[in-house]
Amino acid sequence: MNKIIEVKHLKKNYGDKEVLKDINAVIEKGKVITVIGPSGSGKSTFLRCLNLLEKPTSGQVTFEGTELTDLTEEELDQLRQKMGMVFQSFNLFPNMSVIENVKLVPMKVKGMSDQEAGDLAHELLAKVGLDDFADHSPASLSGGQQQRVAIARALAMQPDMMLFDEPTSALDPEMVGEVLKTMQDLAQTGMTMVVVTHEMGFARKVADEVWFMADGYLLEQGSPDQVFDHPQSDRAKDFLAKILEA
Amino acid sequence: MKKIKKSGKLVVGMSADYPPLEFTKNVNGKNKYVGVDVELAKQIAKDLGVKLEIKNMDFDSLLVALETGKIDMIISGMTPTAERKKSIDFSKIYYAEKSDYFVISKTNKAKYTSTASFKGKTVGAQTGSLQYTSLKKNAAKSGIKVKGLAKISNLLMALKSGKVDAVLLGELNAKTYATNDTSLSLVKSSLSQAQMGNAVGVAKGQGDLVKAINKTINDCQKQDLFNKKYIPAAAKAMKQASSKTNNSMSKYASYFATGLGYTMIITICSITIGLALGVIFALMRLSKNKLLHAIAVCYIEFLRGTPQMVQIMFVYFGVGMLIKNMPALAAGIIAIGLNSGAYVAEDIRSGINSVAKGQTEAARSLGLSQAKTYRYVVFPQALKNIWPALGNEFITLTKDSSLVSVIGVGELMYETGLVQTATYRGVMPLFITMCIYFVVTFILTRLLNYFERRMNLTSSRA
Ligand SMILES: Nc1ncnc2c1ncn2[C@@H]1O[C@H](COP(=O)(O)OP(=O)(O)OP(=O)(O)O)[C@@H](O)[C@H]1O
Ligand SMILES: [Mg+2]
Repeated sequence: MNKIIEVKHLKKNYGDKEVLKDINAVIEKGKVITVIGPSGSGKSTFLRCLNLLEKPTSGQVTFEGTELTDLTEEELDQLRQKMGMVFQSFNLFPNMSVIENVKLVPMKVKGMSDQEAGDLAHELLAKVGLDDFADHSPASLSGGQQQRVAIARALAMQPDMMLFDEPTSALDPEMVGEVLKTMQDLAQTGMTMVVVTHEMGFARKVADEVWFMADGYLLEQGSPDQVFDHPQSDRAKDFLAKILEA
Repeated sequence: MKKIKKSGKLVVGMSADYPPLEFTKNVNGKNKYVGVDVELAKQIAKDLGVKLEIKNMDFDSLLVALETGKIDMIISGMTPTAERKKSIDFSKIYYAEKSDYFVISKTNKAKYTSTASFKGKTVGAQTGSLQYTSLKKNAAKSGIKVKGLAKISNLLMALKSGKVDAVLLGELNAKTYATNDTSLSLVKSSLSQAQMGNAVGVAKGQGDLVKAINKTINDCQKQDLFNKKYIPAAAKAMKQASSKTNNSMSKYASYFATGLGYTMIITICSITIGLALGVIFALMRLSKNKLLHAIAVCYIEFLRGTPQMVQIMFVYFGVGMLIKNMPALAAGIIAIGLNSGAYVAEDIRSGINSVAKGQTEAARSLGLSQAKTYRYVVFPQALKNIWPALGNEFITLTKDSSLVSVIGVGELMYETGLVQTATYRGVMPLFITMCIYFVVTFILTRLLNYFERRMNLTSSRA
C-alpha cells in the first residue's frame, strides 16, 4: 500500500461552528476517490484542507510523507504545485489568454522558458481538445471549455494528484459530459484524484472508492458498489434514496 | 532684527490689492508691487541695510504669517486695533485716514446720500479689515447687512453685478478707485469708529525692530515723503495700471503662463506623492497586521473627512512652525499630495477588493506565492477598476490645486487674482482661467481614456 495522503483527526472550525469533526482517511497513489454528501456537509472544506487553502483547526495532513500543517507559507507554495485543484467556478484568469493561463505557472514558478512552457501548454490543451482556442480570451469560451482549460492549467504544474470541487455543477447539462470525459481520461493515465461531485453516475463508474460525508463526518468509505448498494448509515441511505428518486 | 540682518533679507507681508497703499503693476509682463506701503517698505529695508522681499497674501492670513515667522513685518494699511495688539506689536502710525466711504454705482447716486440710506441694504467689505469690523459692530444699529470677501477686486465685482449695494472702503482706497473708475461714486460714512491710521506690524517682543521702523517713519514724515512723493507716485502707477491699453488681457499672457506652469508643477508633484502614498496606505489597509491597518484607516478617514483648504493652511502655518522656511510651494504640494494619497489609497483598495476571491484561491492553489498572485493575477485585474477612479482623482487634483492660492503660491488662480487687481477687470481673467483649466483637464481626460482603451484591448483580445 502506497499512500499519497493521510489525514488524521482533522478538525476545522469557523468561529464556533464545527465544520469538520475528526476526519481520518488515507488515499492511495493512483486511486480515484469520489466524495458525495449533502450540501453543507463540509466536502469543499475538506478538500481545501488537503492543500491547506484552509488551515485546519487541529489534526494532521500528511502528503507524500510531509506533514503539511506546520509548514511555512513558502514550503506550502512548493507543495501546492504537486496538488492541482479545479473549482466549481473555473476561476480562469480573465486578464490572460487561454494559453497564458496554462503557461503562467511553468514560466513564473517553475522557471521554464517561453518556448518550453508554450510546448507544454499546447500539448495539454490538445489533450483537453482545446488547442485551437489557445489565443482566445477565457470569457469567449463556453463553461465546459473553460473548465477543461482549468484542468489543463492545473496539469501544467505536473502535479502528483488532482482535487476537483464539483467541477460540473456550474455547467449547462449539455457540457457536463465533455468535462467528465476529460476527467475520465485523466483517471486512466493513473492520476490520483479526489472528486467532490453530485454526478452519481460518474461517481460510481470512475471511482475506485466512494466516500460519503455528512455533518462534518466521513460516514462511509468503500467501493462504489458497497456505498451505493449497501450503505451502512441512515444518513447515507436517506441521501441516496433522495438522489436516486430525483 | 538679528535674524533679518543675518539673512540680509527683510520679508514684508502685504495684501497687494489695496491701491494706492499696495497693489501690483504689470511692467513688461512682469508683476511689480507698487504703492505707498511698498515705498515705505523699501525705505525701511534701505535703512536696515538689507534686501526687501515682498510676500503677497490674503489680508486675513497676514497675522498668522507674522506669528509663525513666515514674514518679518506687515505693511498692509493695517490699523493697530486693541485686538490685533494682543497678538502682535505695532510701530507708530505712519499714515492716518480721515474717514471711510461707501463706494456705490453712479446710477444709484440719488438713492444713497447718507449712511442712513443703506438701512436694510447689503454692504461689502474686505474680511478682516477695519471697515468690516465697523460694519459688523454697527450692524444692529444701522440695519446694514454685511457681506465679507477677501479681495477688494471681488467686492467691486459684486457691486457691479448687484450682489452688494455698496462697498465700504478706507478713504485712500475709496478715492483712488472712484478716480480710476468713473462708473463709481462715493458716500461718506458716519458710522466708522475713530480712525487710528496705519502702522507697521511686527511679531511680539522685538523692541529694537520697532525702534528702527519708527526712526524711518519719523524721517519720512519730517520730509513729508508720504504726501509729496509716495502718494503721487502711487496714483501715477494706478493710472497707468488702469489705462485702457494696460487692460488688454494679451499683455498679461505671461501671468497666465507662469500660473499655469506652477499649476502643472503642483499637479505633477502632488500626483506623484499621492500615488506613492496611495499604494502604501492601500497595502497597509489590506494588510493583516492590525496596527498597520489601523494607522491606514485613521489616515484615510481623517484626510477624507477634513476640508482640503484647511489642510493646506495647516501644513503651511502649522507644520511650518516646526520646519522653518518651508516655501509655500512645497507646503502646497505636500498638503495636496497627502490629501490625494488618501483618495488614491481608497481607489486602489476598492479596485483590489473588486477582484473575485476565487481568482486569488485559484492562483494560490497553483502554487503562486502571495506576491506573485498579486503581481500576475490580482493587480492586473484591479488596475482596470482602479484606472478610471485614478483618472477622476487626477482631474480633481488638477482643479483643486487652485486652493493653494490661499497661501500665496503663484499658481493659476493666484495669478488670476493679480491680473484682476492690476487691470480692474473682474470677469475676463476668471473666464480665461476657466478656459485654461478646461483645456488642461480635457487633454488629461483624453489621455487617460486612451490608456484605458489600450488596457482593455490588451486584456480582452479574442
Ligand atoms: N469561510 C467560511 N466561514 C464560515 N463558515 C463557512 C466558511 N466556509 C464554509 N462555511 C460553512 O461550513 C459548512 C460546510 O461548508 P462546505 O462548503 O465545506 O460544504 P459542502 O459540503 O461543500 O457544501 P456544498 O455541497 O453546498 O458545496 C457550511 O455550513 C458553510 O456555511
Ligand atoms: Mg462545496
